[in-house]
Amino acid sequence: MKVIEVENLSKTFRVKQKEKGMKGSIQAIFRPQTTQVRAVDKVSFKVDEGEVLAFIGPNGAGKSTTIKMLTGILYPDGGSVKVLGIDPVKKRRQLAYQIGTVFGQKEQLWTHLTPYDNFKFFGAIYDLSDLETERRIRELTDTFALSEFINTPVRNLSLGQRIRCEIAASLIHRPKVLFLDEPTIGLDPVVKENIRSLIKRMNQEFNTTIFLTSHDIGDIEKLCRRVIIVNSGRIVLDDSMAHLQFADASLEDVIMKIYSNGSA
Amino acid sequence: MRIMRKYAVVYRSVLMENLQYIGNIALGFVGYFILIFVFMNLWGYMYGEPGTRIAGYTKEQMIWYVMVTEMIWFGARTGAIVNQVTTDIRGGNIAYLMNKPYHYTLYILARHTGEWCIRLPMYALLAVAMGLTMVGRIPGFGIPALLSSATSVVLGVTINGVFKICISLMSFWIEDARPFQWLYDKLILIVGTLFPIEIFPAVVRPFFKLTPIYTVCYGPAKLVVDFHMEQYSEILLRQFLYLAVGIGLMFFIYGKGVKRLYVNGG
Amino acid sequence: MSTGDENNRQGIPGTAPGWNQLRVCVLSIKYNIMREMVNKVTFLTNICFMILNNGAFLVQWAILFRLKEDIGGYTFQEIMLLWGICASSYGLAHILFARAFALPELIINGKLDAYLVLPKNVLLGVMTSSTRTSAIGDLAYGLIVACLSGFSVKKMLLFLLFTVTGAVMVTAFAVLLGSLSFWFVRMEIFADQMVNVTISFATYPDGIFKGAVKVLLYFAIPTGMMVYQPVHIMTDFKWKGFFMVPCYAGMLSVAAVVVFYRGLRKYSSGNLMSARV
Repeated sequence: MKVIEVENLSKTFRVKQKEKGMKGSIQAIFRPQTTQVRAVDKVSFKVDEGEVLAFIGPNGAGKSTTIKMLTGILYPDGGSVKVLGIDPVKKRRQLAYQIGTVFGQKEQLWTHLTPYDNFKFFGAIYDLSDLETERRIRELTDTFALSEFINTPVRNLSLGQRIRCEIAASLIHRPKVLFLDEPTIGLDPVVKENIRSLIKRMNQEFNTTIFLTSHDIGDIEKLCRRVIIVNSGRIVLDDSMAHLQFADASLEDVIMKIYSNGSA
Repeated sequence: MRIMRKYAVVYRSVLMENLQYIGNIALGFVGYFILIFVFMNLWGYMYGEPGTRIAGYTKEQMIWYVMVTEMIWFGARTGAIVNQVTTDIRGGNIAYLMNKPYHYTLYILARHTGEWCIRLPMYALLAVAMGLTMVGRIPGFGIPALLSSATSVVLGVTINGVFKICISLMSFWIEDARPFQWLYDKLILIVGTLFPIEIFPAVVRPFFKLTPIYTVCYGPAKLVVDFHMEQYSEILLRQFLYLAVGIGLMFFIYGKGVKRLYVNGG
Repeated sequence: MSTGDENNRQGIPGTAPGWNQLRVCVLSIKYNIMREMVNKVTFLTNICFMILNNGAFLVQWAILFRLKEDIGGYTFQEIMLLWGICASSYGLAHILFARAFALPELIINGKLDAYLVLPKNVLLGVMTSSTRTSAIGDLAYGLIVACLSGFSVKKMLLFLLFTVTGAVMVTAFAVLLGSLSFWFVRMEIFADQMVNVTISFATYPDGIFKGAVKVLLYFAIPTGMMVYQPVHIMTDFKWKGFFMVPCYAGMLSVAAVVVFYRGLRKYSSGNLMSARV
């Protein structure tokens, strides 16, 4: 079964521009200039159940825009999206019950509450019964080794502990697909490794499909079996990890080459 | 003078930055327009038949008075003095800003000036347009009144900025200085903005004259609606006095706050 | 409430009972207030100073009533009632739905993402995601002033009802105008201004206005149905007027919801920033 099906997906943004100096400031009042930016340009791909996919590209390549269209945050301008057979545009809430999202730089937890209270809150959001929420919290506490700080307010946790809680919270409802947008950003190497092995275990134990964006080569090498590289809104490479590593150069070199070609 | 140059650069760049927002400022006109409109109706009702005087003011003077004070109120409400100091201190940004080769409070004051230099003239134009079309000219208002009230308005706006910065600097000690901002704003609003001090019972008036309120709103507005040379010099003197006291206080509080920051390590 | 059965637990639209949505909202609001209470001194000073702050306007009216005994057909008592309803509606709205008033900022800076990935109502999720401590002071002030203006059970019940309808109206009005930010960037200030205008009018008696303005107070901004009509009903009860108030609140809410969801299609998330070239 295809978990994600994307056909000719496109999204255009209108961006305001201003020329420099006092003259530009005055000009912008009377004649505001805008340009169209094609953030995502006719992107098509499919993802199988249980796959771990790296969706990477340089800053501003359209990664986040794509992830946001897959999760129902943004409306596409063109093309079609199906996640678990559901159209995120039409049935956003129905889809939301079955997917999990972690945006590395944005917090979804209440920082003045303990992880436990946060999990209870998310349990309520996903319509779990109290009994079931408790059971899930126990499971997640074991899997993510949260027991020593489950009752400490989130704002007093270290970044690594916090991101573990973020990921755990996004799993409370056993999502079938997990979208991870730079989950290891700003973490030290030990914690990074820890998070990676957790993601790996989740994929193996529950066959959760994982859709990951990251700038960290380590994340990609250690986790993913397939890589899609986007640049300027287009897919420039879609290949299996095994195949990529056959090449003489390291993955890092391959990626660097593609990034710099695309933007030239 | 060399030392002041960097503040002039800050002022200029803020001025430029704010030119972009002229449209936004103009949208703020709605609030001003409505408020003045409400006051026109209120005073229209209070005055009843023409020719009446309340507290020595004619109806036209009373409306012009509130137009000028509200112009100062709206024109001087800059981001620099409303939020920035509190955000800098509470957000920890102050640690970087205070080590720069300028005095932080003067930097904020320069930003404040850059902002009101756009806002205030715009509100002044609106006030004049509204006044001339809806109220009529003020008798006895000429070039001397214009020049003297203009200097007085500039001083008033600056004094207001200095005192607001002083209150914001309390953020070094307390988590949230906003409640004190509200009280200061309300004092200015009730005593001297909504109506002239003469409307209050005679017993409290001398007390009001001693507060900075007298120099921020009442002074400049009084000069617009009822100009006398003697009063001008008196108001100007008080304004300079308060400006000196305010800046001294501002430096003092800032110095204390920074010391505290060094001791406690932020 | 769903059972523990994992297979049919999720994913079926419409199975989430309405009261579960309510439960999430209540939890949100509770957590918001708990967050504010982390620093108790700040929490209490905010509330107390807001009461004092509002109290300053009693001075304004005391001064004005020194000049004339009735202003726009209102006695000092009725002005207090007017102020009371206005303050408590505004307060209640900002205790429960503070974020509704920050909607333009969230839309322009692309901060709705977190609510869009949750299987709950987006608008309710956003609205209940923060609170304003000082609003508790506004609500308290409104209640105090209402009691001072003469206490009776019937009056208090009416006052509470109108506080709720007023809160709904001002929130809906803010959402309605704030949602225009999906189309126009400049709406941030405009929406804010219009809410302020609504409140500015609400603190002056409607008797000082004439003709067309009075009509605008009912149709262009919700001030009329928010405070004027309630004050009239509380001083001289009429069934027809009494029913009009909640109807108006309902209609305004529907309009706000429709415009918000229309605009959501135009939502561009935080991408505008990263797409800056």
